[in-house]
Amino acid sequence: MVKRGFERLYLALIFVFLYLPITVLIVLSFNDSKTKVSWGGFTLKWYLRCFHNETIMNAFWTTLQLTIASALIATIIGTLAAIGISSMKRRNKAIFLGATNIPLLNADIVTGLSMMLLFVKFINLGFVTVLIAHITFNIPYVILNVLPKLKTANKYTYEAALDLGASKPFAFYKVTWPEIKSGVFSGFIMAVTMSLDDFSITYFTKGAGMNTISTMLYTELRKGIKPELYALSTILFLTVFILLLAMNIRNEKRSSHGKKPVKNFIACLLVVFCSVTLLGGCAPKKNSTSSKTLTVLNAGKYIDESVITDFEKKTKIKIKYEEYSSPEEMYTKYKSGSIKYDLINTSDYMIEKLIKEGEVQKLDFSNIPHINNIDEEILKLSHSFDPKNEYTVPYFYGTVGILYNKKMVSKEEVSSWKVLWDPKYKNEIIQQNSVRDAFIPALVLNHSSLNTTKKSELKKALKLLKKQYPLTYAYMVDETSDEMISENAAMAVVYSGEAATAMDSNENLSYSLPKEGSNAWVDSWFVPKTCQHKKEAEKFIDYLCTDKVAKKNFDYVWYSSPCKSVQKNLTDDFKKNPALTFNKKTLDKCELFHALSDEDQAYYNKLWQELKSRL
Amino acid sequence: MNNLKKQLLAGPYLIWIIGFIILPMITVVLYAFTGDDGHFTLEYMKEVTLHAHMAAIGLSLQLGILTTIICLIIAYPLAMILKSFNFKHQTFVVFIFMLPMWMNFLLRIMAWKMLLAKNGIFNTFLASIGLEPLHIINTPAAVVIGMVYDYLPFMLLPIYNSMVRIKKDYIEAAQDLGAKSITVFFKIILPLTMSGIVSGIVMVFVPALTSFAVSDILGGGKILLIGNVIEQDFMQGNQWSIGSALSVVLMIFVLISMILSQIFDKDEGSVATW
Repeated sequence: MVKRGFERLYLALIFVFLYLPITVLIVLSFNDSKTKVSWGGFTLKWYLRCFHNETIMNAFWTTLQLTIASALIATIIGTLAAIGISSMKRRNKAIFLGATNIPLLNADIVTGLSMMLLFVKFINLGFVTVLIAHITFNIPYVILNVLPKLKTANKYTYEAALDLGASKPFAFYKVTWPEIKSGVFSGFIMAVTMSLDDFSITYFTKGAGMNTISTMLYTELRKGIKPELYALSTILFLTVFILLLAMNIRNEKRSSHGKKPVKNFIACLLVVFCSVTLLGGCAPKKNSTSSKTLTVLNAGKYIDESVITDFEKKTKIKIKYEEYSSPEEMYTKYKSGSIKYDLINTSDYMIEKLIKEGEVQKLDFSNIPHINNIDEEILKLSHSFDPKNEYTVPYFYGTVGILYNKKMVSKEEVSSWKVLWDPKYKNEIIQQNSVRDAFIPALVLNHSSLNTTKKSELKKALKLLKKQYPLTYAYMVDETSDEMISENAAMAVVYSGEAATAMDSNENLSYSLPKEGSNAWVDSWFVPKTCQHKKEAEKFIDYLCTDKVAKKNFDYVWYSSPCKSVQKNLTDDFKKNPALTFNKKTLDKCELFHALSDEDQAYYNKLWQELKSRL
Repeated sequence: MNNLKKQLLAGPYLIWIIGFIILPMITVVLYAFTGDDGHFTLEYMKEVTLHAHMAAIGLSLQLGILTTIICLIIAYPLAMILKSFNFKHQTFVVFIFMLPMWMNFLLRIMAWKMLLAKNGIFNTFLASIGLEPLHIINTPAAVVIGMVYDYLPFMLLPIYNSMVRIKKDYIEAAQDLGAKSITVFFKIILPLTMSGIVSGIVMVFVPALTSFAVSDILGGGKILLIGNVIEQDFMQGNQWSIGSALSVVLMIFVLISMILSQIFDKDEGSVATW
């Protein structure tokens, strides 16, 4: 009896272990709160909103199409292969089974990148390449589910059917199929499960501009996941739960009496599932045939979307708006050439690189009269990458500094980068998780340039960073503000804009630009060589510089605006906000990043890996 | 003749294997061993032996082995208990353990991050009953928890499958002949579940060794596994050749595991069947 009790307890514990995280996610999908850590009451709004969010829905349809298509094709190829393999002699059989094991046992990351390396030689990465990859890792599941059924199937009944005059397809349908269909079905379900849950292989073979739910989540993890995604996942999870439960009931029932009703029910569900998918794929995409369409590429959450619709209404120019998560991603997206962009906004050093590569067009400022509204200081700052201000128009700017919690650290302490090396704050410091940003404090304290490529200086900085490593709580990029808002750490190296947003959510937070100096950055618009509507693109830039629009964007994005009209009309609260308004003297001590050569970048990466591997 | 035609049905699959499994592998090897000038080089393989890379490989092996052992320790008794419950249909067990996979993998790991965070759900709970908070997040321990969570089904299912296949007669015969339960376990149950254990080990060890997303999310950027290095080489650093060289090293590890599983695993793919 006692033993039974232990067993039940053990089972219960495992059950909790397996389903606790899932419960957390389901609960979150009903949580009416901005931050994910606190409970703000019950709501269904995320469920409603997730169907109106175009990016999420696009990723969702892509995922469904991919899953169903890959599972179907894999089931066909796999079933045929299983029939073929089962009639092979031992040696050939062993070879085939060995090959089947490769994608099953191989590391996902190797499977993914090996296919990527092959594909990039022939075609652009996109839906087709991901589909091929998914079929490849799905086939083994089908084969291994069908083979055992074929093994137990009676070989002679099929031949008997032939002898009795049945045609081959008819004999197959009447004799073989009933024996293997449960295996085929399991294989299909298995393939769907694997395909839906895959992340690594999709990540490597997808290229730019295409997202499944998984890959979208991976980029969102850093910026904070939209609650709509919890809702979508919950729906998906519960659907499958019901589906599989029904399937199990079917199995239970089969042993007692008729199996038809439940089976039909499942068949119906499957048909609905597939047809919804196909319909979703065929549903007319938004008409973009109007004569002038601007394709705009901007960083995520970096514009008030009503600005776009207002512009469309006012000028009758259509805008196709796309987002990226890092300047590096923007670069690959642009360079892949699969989409021809008309207008792009990105960071200083990346623009410098593109100008050097001859990818940027000179602007015609007669089309941008509101350039007058841009602060001369910021134009001067831009000389670092656009020496004559002829290629770019600034959009937002800022610095890199310390976001800190006033309850845990004093203002005096954070006035210097040295606080990041104070052992008092062990496990309370969040460092930047990108190489160059993480090096800023160390380089500044060593009086090196932020753009140094001297190995001795970089090594010296690395030494300092190694000393800091044991004190850090984490190395993060976009997750930082969430962590600081939930007070998981005392201070963090952040971009000023992020600091401003975080300070808005938690009043204990403040921002400091250390007195030793730091990095300043300017995000600017430019017209790439691929632009087909330059005049319209310039019109859009001009629109963004007008008083009202600039204010609207500022209120939404919450970064420092280079527009004089916005700066002038700031309330005192804003003017005192250290993350939005900077002392001109400290700003003078700040240095912009320059683009690094590939070789120097590789050296930086090497040092970075050395730091992270704790040597 | 008829048989040959039947074998031809495997034709499309053969083409698929060559085009999308064998060729890509060859491409990786080519990248790893050819320099910019197109000649054979060992330069990238030398990079693998760099201190930083060796440290990442070492840590990956360490965490991978730890994860595998913990999974085995949890899964084996679990399989025995599940067997003793004598479910009429095995699919039910599979169902319970496969179901979590329908909640996206990244979200599940994300949920662990919220559970383990410094001011997260666990620590809030501990504080409410007056206990000291634990510092787990952003340490190797958090990564191991995440991987155990993710890969436990891959250990459990093959062991469970091999366990339910043991005929009751064997055990009863042994008991009739006077064997104690310990003897029954070591002489009958353990040897007969060996193939399940081995395929479980392979199915857990390989992904644990090569994971990069789990360490990325639960390691807070402080845990650099070999998968993370490769990911960075390909997606950020544009150092495809070094990434390929590291992948070749991974492929060798995988190959060893595959050979081991071939030796022990007599029944094909007990893992992948539903």
